[in-house]
Amino acid sequence: MRAYVEFAKKAFQNNITYRADYVAGVINAIVMIFVNICIWKAIYEDEQSVDGVQFKILITYVVLSFLMQCIYGMDEYHIEYKVRSGSIGLDLLKPINFSAYVFSYNLGILVFRIVMQLIPALIVSIVLFKMYPPFSLSMAACFVLSTILGYLVLYNLNFIVWISSFWFYWTFSLVTIKDAAVMILSGALLPLWFMPQFLVDFINLTPFASIYYVPITIYLGQVPMEEIAMVMVKQLIWALGLFLAGKVLWRIALKKLVVQGG
Amino acid sequence: MPLIEVNNLVKDYKLNVRKKGLLGSIQGLIVPEYKMKRAVDNISFSIEKGEMVGFIGPNGAGKSTTVKMLTGILVPTSGSISIGGLSPSRDRKRNAMRLGVVFGQRSQLWWDLPVVDTFELLRYVYKIPEKTFKSNMALFNELLEINAFMSQPVRQLSLGQRMRADIAAALLHDPEIIFFDEPTIGLDVIAKEKVREFIRFINKEKGTTMLFTTHDMQDIEKTCQRMIIIDQGTTIYDGTVQHIKDSFGTTRTLVVDFSENVGKIEIPGVEVVEEKDRKKWLRFQKEQVPVSGLIYELTQKYGIVDLTVQEPEIEGIIREIYQGGIKFDESVCRVC
Repeated sequence: MRAYVEFAKKAFQNNITYRADYVAGVINAIVMIFVNICIWKAIYEDEQSVDGVQFKILITYVVLSFLMQCIYGMDEYHIEYKVRSGSIGLDLLKPINFSAYVFSYNLGILVFRIVMQLIPALIVSIVLFKMYPPFSLSMAACFVLSTILGYLVLYNLNFIVWISSFWFYWTFSLVTIKDAAVMILSGALLPLWFMPQFLVDFINLTPFASIYYVPITIYLGQVPMEEIAMVMVKQLIWALGLFLAGKVLWRIALKKLVVQGG
Repeated sequence: MPLIEVNNLVKDYKLNVRKKGLLGSIQGLIVPEYKMKRAVDNISFSIEKGEMVGFIGPNGAGKSTTVKMLTGILVPTSGSISIGGLSPSRDRKRNAMRLGVVFGQRSQLWWDLPVVDTFELLRYVYKIPEKTFKSNMALFNELLEINAFMSQPVRQLSLGQRMRADIAAALLHDPEIIFFDEPTIGLDVIAKEKVREFIRFINKEKGTTMLFTTHDMQDIEKTCQRMIIIDQGTTIYDGTVQHIKDSFGTTRTLVVDFSENVGKIEIPGVEVVEEKDRKKWLRFQKEQVPVSGLIYELTQKYGIVDLTVQEPEIEGIIREIYQGGIKFDESVCRVC
């Protein structure tokens, strides 16, 4: 167990070594929020609400979405690099669980992003963009829990994409497609309220809404108290389902592993 | 019972066959064609505890594949491997606790972090007791002088420094067995010697079993007693380094520096292979022409400034083996 804590610590340290990249990351997050707010402002054109959605609520949605994107960022090519360079062999020579190692590595990145990126971006957002506070204190707690579940859903989905590098060696296209799907279908760019009903029906059958839409709507108090438990159970089921799928895929990948080069 | 036992090991690879040209690559994309390649073909051997064994063979002979199967990161197509009673691929994690691996061309150190951070990490990965960790660090520093660059990020190290750090990292948990995959590749002469010295010392002090794959015959000569030559997936020799030298290194070359130009030399059984100014290289079989007699004969006839007897180097013998110049018969080869 201690080894995995150390892995997370090392991932954290590893991220901190590149100071320029870190500063750029914070600036990027703030600029992206700003640009998106400008776009929505243009759409609203001084109207108080569009489709019955208040402008301030929308702003809060957008800011939250970007703050979450900030911490949901993971090392998408960590496994691919290991597979392609063959250094995965070195990892398999260690008495450790590889999947657990990858997870703790990403947790290290998560902690780094929460401390070093989320907090500055959050302060700027509250002061500059005047986002709404959570609907209530209990909703705030539910939001945090739901965000953690959302992270797990996204992580396990990502893990499946990453493991595919055992077959494809290059996963850039796959990662790009996955990112696009997540951004659109999870409501990260555009709240699902504005989407046509058939698309929403489809999204409800996929894990995507669990990633962004569910936590944000909980924050905004749009999910009735009695339904919160149910949506969270749904998130949990998706996280578990994808986790198991990833586990099976990893088993198969391990079997077919051919170490490149050497 | 031997520590490592390998029986009838076979490994087949599925290779994607690519056709030539643009049309060929499009065809390969739509209808991929596969071909089976046997990388390791029925290899058997056993290694006792504390032995130092060199695996040699030309590129693509199947050495690395064999080593990867021994470490458990490749699963054999057929045959069996037992390391201290465990199957490496089935008990990968338990097996890993007892293994140390050094890849000359790869590093297990964290690239962006100081060396010491990787060592700290390994301490937890292998659950190394504090006392062992400290005494090993002190020992490695004494022998490899790693303290000088412990707090530098790995990416700033020279190859020699990185290699020393990598070797120390692989040995930190006192593994029973260590695999070295080209441990001295790219190092300068002094650094190579240092690494070999360290390896010999550890083997003697800790009784660690060691396996090398290398192309540097000096590595083998200076560290191993035993050598396994692999070619085209099969073992073609398994025995001592000395034995190969005795069996094939029967030619000697006498380099004679004469005091004057002597013209043609004709001695039965002796062949002049090279001439330069007043120097001549004379080659003969040591059983046919006793070297003392030859020297006596020469000193009687000519004035001589200098004399040296050259034994064939192991490298030359191995080269001939790869090229098929030397065939093994029953008397030499224990396994084939």
